[in-house]
Amino acid sequence: MNLDAQRALAWQTYQRLPLPSRRDVEWQRFDLRALNLNEIEKRPQSVRVSLNSAPGVTLVPLVDQQPIGRAIPPDEPNKFAALASALWRHGAFLRVPAGHKADRPIEITCEFTGANAVAFPRTLIVLEPGAEATLVQQFTGPGDGVHASLTEVFLEEGARLHYVSFQNLAPGALDFTLKRAHVARNAEIDWVVGMFGGSLTRYDVQCIMDGEGGNSFIYGAGVVDDRQQLAQFTRQHHRVGHTTSDLLFKNVLRDRAATNYAGIIKVEKNANGTNAYQSNRNLVLDKTVQCDTRPILEIESHQLRCTHGATVGRLDENQLYYLRTRGLDDTTARNVLIEAFLDPVLARIQVESVRQEFAEIIHRKVLK
Amino acid sequence: MSAPPPTEPFAGRAYKEGFHDDIKTLKSVPKGLSHAVVDYMCDVKGEPNWMREFRHRSLDLFLKQGIPEWVPGLRDEFHYDEFTYYVSPVEKSSRRWEDVPEEIRRTYDKLGIAKEEQKLLGGLGAQIDSEMAYHNIQESLAKKGVIFLSCDDGMKQYPDIFRQHFAKNIPPEDNKFAALNAAFWSGGSFVYIPKGVKCDIPLSVYFRINAEQFGQFERTLIICEDDSFCHYVEGCSAPIYTTNSLHAAVVEIYVKERARCRYTTIQNWSTDVYNLVTKRSMISAKGVMEWVDGNLGSKRTVKYPSCYMIGEGAHGEVLSLASADKGMWQDAGAKLVFLAPNCSGRINSKSISGHGGRSSYRGLVQVARNATGCRAQVNCDALILDPHSRSDTYPTMEINGDLATIEHEATVSNVSDEQLFYLTSRGLKKEDAVSMIVNGFIEPVVKELPMEFAVEINRLIGLQMEGSVG
Repeated sequence: MNLDAQRALAWQTYQRLPLPSRRDVEWQRFDLRALNLNEIEKRPQSVRVSLNSAPGVTLVPLVDQQPIGRAIPPDEPNKFAALASALWRHGAFLRVPAGHKADRPIEITCEFTGANAVAFPRTLIVLEPGAEATLVQQFTGPGDGVHASLTEVFLEEGARLHYVSFQNLAPGALDFTLKRAHVARNAEIDWVVGMFGGSLTRYDVQCIMDGEGGNSFIYGAGVVDDRQQLAQFTRQHHRVGHTTSDLLFKNVLRDRAATNYAGIIKVEKNANGTNAYQSNRNLVLDKTVQCDTRPILEIESHQLRCTHGATVGRLDENQLYYLRTRGLDDTTARNVLIEAFLDPVLARIQVESVRQEFAEIIHRKVLK
Repeated sequence: MSAPPPTEPFAGRAYKEGFHDDIKTLKSVPKGLSHAVVDYMCDVKGEPNWMREFRHRSLDLFLKQGIPEWVPGLRDEFHYDEFTYYVSPVEKSSRRWEDVPEEIRRTYDKLGIAKEEQKLLGGLGAQIDSEMAYHNIQESLAKKGVIFLSCDDGMKQYPDIFRQHFAKNIPPEDNKFAALNAAFWSGGSFVYIPKGVKCDIPLSVYFRINAEQFGQFERTLIICEDDSFCHYVEGCSAPIYTTNSLHAAVVEIYVKERARCRYTTIQNWSTDVYNLVTKRSMISAKGVMEWVDGNLGSKRTVKYPSCYMIGEGAHGEVLSLASADKGMWQDAGAKLVFLAPNCSGRINSKSISGHGGRSSYRGLVQVARNATGCRAQVNCDALILDPHSRSDTYPTMEINGDLATIEHEATVSNVSDEQLFYLTSRGLKKEDAVSMIVNGFIEPVVKELPMEFAVEINRLIGLQMEGSVG
């Protein structure tokens, strides 16, 4: 399907789908009624995409490259994804050729600039067989209004991607993000997702295991305060057997913030030899917050092992006490424990400067 | 381990309760639901006016309400008009076993619910189709003031206690099937344990469906006053027909301060029964509620025993065991709702899916903002025995505030080759090895059952395991 046809179909899909209501389980804590989408197609799009490439790889603005729309089709049953598919104007395209190992991190930065504007940045990432790369993608900027981003990732046979992606939009932004990765035979994605900004954020992170021997590691950190609302949806879809997926989402909440995690491990029939793990851990720092978690397993295969866990808890008084007896003051003791809670996610980031950046954002938001 | 052959490795498990007896029907109504059926039931039962109004209002509510979207697939599977809503083979509930009509006694003898068993029990009830045929309690318990009657008799003999509690915990507005039950309820138990009385031998009730295309709507009300204790055990079965039957029960339990109640269910309906049950307990301060919920039969079970902790320091616990065999879908689970401070709750769920069966765990843990210092722990383990079966886990946790500690863990796996290899290398036959692993898997639930039931569960699971290893 050419791009114009895709846009037309996406627009139809967008108009057909109703705005999610609170009756929809995934949205029940989030009130979208105030969201005004009238004449959204006429609003100015203000995104600045900057690219920082590495030798031997293709990194260019996204125009009409293939296979756009194959991971996230224009009729994706998601109102905001369809909106972005119909209206996007800016984006990035990354192709790492077969067998090539990019020797330094590739960067894609999407800056949301305008006031009361819209932004629909779209990214397409293709790693050809045997390619290896590290990609840092960030969404930032002072803009407010509706921000809906799409990212499609294809890891072909034996490809390896270390992918760090984070969102640190301004408080007025409403962010709807869908990221979907296809992992082919013996390919591996090592993925870290940071969710920090925006007043209302929906993050959809999905991996589709298409080939035997594929591995996927997804680590997410959400840090929310000041009435921020964060809805996370994850999907580990095992289409074939002998694949592994491991997911850990950790959230820290304070000051009237709310999170709603819903994640599913789906194992199709005959995907024997699947090994999947899913975990959602939440640390609540005061009593004004609200934390929902809904981890789901749907298993139609029998020679496998799937496990999930979810917890909601606060800082452990005993641990705080221990640290105080070692001479740390109360604030420092709390900070140490919060940092330690998020460390399993941050430790996965292989690019030192980006890990620093994560740490600084966390420090600003929840440490005193 | 090689998988069993692709189609029907064996025809499900043997269901020895699937026989049907010719029992003369004394009273029944035409098929289908209507206000006329409600009026007929009120008339033959001689019910007070408030109950008649309540039933009519509930039927209106039932007709208005939809099935919640998350209840999978029930919408188009059957029509409510294909069932008969009231069938009674008895005039009244007898207190002496000898007074129960002989043909019904014969059915119960075949099921092994014989007179002798009463020696082990504090009280025994037997319901066939819509009415209780038998309800009796040991003299010693009766003397302490324990009331154990059919729910209909409870309404007539203890109208004040009854009306104070009936439908206060699960009103007909709660859900479509609770409304259906409220409109057509008949039979079930009324249990009242006075202050400080410990009823340490179980009260047991057996529910039998004998009629075809029938809807059984028993209603149970258990009130444990302050500092009391009771253990209530229910079992059930039905003949195998080619048509469906419907069982929509409502169980309301009140655990008052420092009281403890244990409710054990061994659900073994035949595979043509839709089992759609609402069970809920209200637990006051320092009260303890324990649900032991075994689901081994039925075509479809939709049942989530619930603990609503309304007093400080209350404790709720659910042990759930589901075994989904050929043609079954067990949508079981539990709910813990924390409405008061310093409460605790635990859910331990074990499920086994085999021969194309599907089992789902669906659960809810909810913590209100003022319910500080609450702790909940949820563990779900599922075993899948072959590639035709399916297992799902749908837990939901909704936490307000920061003063609760909530944990959930679930695992889905098969009987691993390593485990089998180890046991067979020790000289066990493969079937015995599988059986041993499965028994070990369900042990935490089974050990909580009364002896006779534990033996029965092991037998049923054993039968289900036959032929599952190739």
